Amino acid sequence: MTAALRALPTVFSIGLQRQLAYRWNYLLRALFSAVPLLVSWVFWEAVFQGKETVGRYTLAGLLTYYAVLLIVEAVSSPADDDFQISREIREGMLNPILLRPLPYGLYRGALFLSGRCAYLVAAFIPVFLCFFILSRVVHLELASFDILRGLPALFGSALLQFSLTLCLSLTSFWFLDISSLIFLVYSLEFLAGGHVFPLDLLPAPLFTAARFLPFAYEYWFPAAALCGTLSHREWQIGIGMQFAWAIFFLFFAYFLWKAGLRKYTAAGG
Amino acid sequence: MPYFIHLLKLWLIQLRYAITRELAFRANFFAWVIVELAWFVLQLAFVGVVYQHVDSVAGWNRYEMIVLVATNQLIQQIFTAFLMPGLVKLPDLVRTGGLDFLLLKPAPPQFLVSTSSLEIGPLANAGIALIVVLSALHSLAITPTLSATFTYLFLVLAGLFVHYALLLALVSFTFWIVQAESVLLGYYSIFQVARLPREATRGWFRVIFTFAIPLLLVANVPASVLIRNMHITPILLFLGTSLSAALLASLFFYLGLRRYQSASS
Repeated sequence: MTAALRALPTVFSIGLQRQLAYRWNYLLRALFSAVPLLVSWVFWEAVFQGKETVGRYTLAGLLTYYAVLLIVEAVSSPADDDFQISREIREGMLNPILLRPLPYGLYRGALFLSGRCAYLVAAFIPVFLCFFILSRVVHLELASFDILRGLPALFGSALLQFSLTLCLSLTSFWFLDISSLIFLVYSLEFLAGGHVFPLDLLPAPLFTAARFLPFAYEYWFPAAALCGTLSHREWQIGIGMQFAWAIFFLFFAYFLWKAGLRKYTAAGG
Repeated sequence: MPYFIHLLKLWLIQLRYAITRELAFRANFFAWVIVELAWFVLQLAFVGVVYQHVDSVAGWNRYEMIVLVATNQLIQQIFTAFLMPGLVKLPDLVRTGGLDFLLLKPAPPQFLVSTSSLEIGPLANAGIALIVVLSALHSLAITPTLSATFTYLFLVLAGLFVHYALLLALVSFTFWIVQAESVLLGYYSIFQVARLPREATRGWFRVIFTFAIPLLLVANVPASVLIRNMHITPILLFLGTSLSAALLASLFFYLGLRRYQSASS
C-alpha cells in the first residue's frame, strides 16, 4: 500500500503532462463553458423586466449563482474520465494497469486530480474575465461569499462526481457502448443538479425531492454554499447528504470493479 | 447537374447503410432516442419553471416560447441525424490519419466528411418536437395557413445551414489544434443562443448573433412565421446570412485542409 501511495505523485505528474499537452483543448473548453453564462444573463435580464425578484432571487443574485457555477464546474467536473475508463475496459487497455501494484481507483483518482489541476490552469483566465466583465455591468452579490462552507462543499462535489463517474464507466464491463448512459446522466445532472437554474426556483415539493437525489450535491449545493445563501442547518444537512452519496458511490464502484474483473477478458499483448 | 445527382446517389447509399446499421443495434437506437428526449424535456422544464414566476418573457408567452424551443429542437435533431455524426468525427480522422482514406475517394472532401455517418434515431425526436410545436399551436388556438406551413418547413431546412456552418467551422479547428474534442461542447454551448427570443437581446449581442453568426434567426424566424405575421425582411435576412455562414465555414474548412499532414504510415 505504501508503494502504491508513493506511485501516486508520478501518476499525477504523468496525467498533468498529458493534459497540458492539449492545453488549447482545455482553453477552448473553458471559454465555451462561459457561453451559457452569457446566454443566462441575456435571458434572465428579459425575465426580470419590470420585476425585482423571481422566487427568492434578484437578477444580481441569480447571475452570481451562474458565475459561481463556473468555479464549481472548473473544480469538480470530470472532463472525459468516463470515456477514458470505458475505453480502457473495452479495448483491453486495462492489462498493463492491472499488472501495476496500484489500486485502480487510486490510479484514476490521481488522473482525475491532474485533469482538474490542468483545467483550473486553463480556466483561470476565462473564469476571471467572466467575473470581471459581469461585475462591471451587474452588482454581483459577493458580500455573502462563504469560502469556509464553500470549500468542503466543493471538495465533496469533486468526490461525488468522481465516484459517480467511476460507477458509470465501470458498467463498460457489461455493455459495449455506454455513451448513451453517460449522456442520460448528464441530462439528469443538468436538470436535477441545478445547472440550468437554481433548484430553489422549483416548486416546493419538487425542490424537496431534488434534495434527496445525489445530483443536487454536484452543482446546486456547492454553488449555494459558496454564494452563502444556505443557513448553517441547511449546510450541515447538505454536506452530510453529499458525503453520504459520495461514499455510497465509492463502495458501489468497488463492488462493480470486483464483479467486472471476474467478467473481464484480457486479450492482446 | 449530373454531378449533383452522383452526390445524391452516394448520400442515399450512405443513408441505406445507416438504416441497416441502426436496425442492427436496436437497443442503442432506443437508448439514444431516450437520451435526446431527456435533453428536450430539460429545456421544456426550464420553460415551465420560468413561466411559473412570470407570464411573459420579451413579449413571448409560455406556449409561444414552447413553439420557439421545440422548433429549435426540430432543426437540431434533423441536423443531428444527417450531418452532425460525420462532422464530429473529423478531429479523430485528422489525429489518426484516417482522413487519408476520404481524401482518396472520388468525391469532394467536405461532402464526404459531412455525410460519412448518419443516425436515424434523432428523427424520432424531431417527430416528437413537431408534435410539441403542433400541441403548443393548439393551445394558442392558432391554425397555420398552408403557405405559413410551407414557409416554416422551408425555413427549418434553412436553419440546418446555420447549424452546419457553425459545427463545420468549429471542427475545422482540428487542423490547427490536435485534440479538438471540446469543439462539440462549444457547438452545444453556442447554440443555446438559438433558444433565446430575439426580442430579449440587444446591443452587440443582437448584432453579432443576427448578422455574423445568425443563431438568433434559426428558430426565431420559423417560429414567428407560425405564431405571428409573416414578414419578408427577416426571412430574406435569415436566408442570406445562413447561406453566407455556410460558404464562409466551407472556405475555413478548405483553408484548414491545406494544413493537413497525413498521420498514417
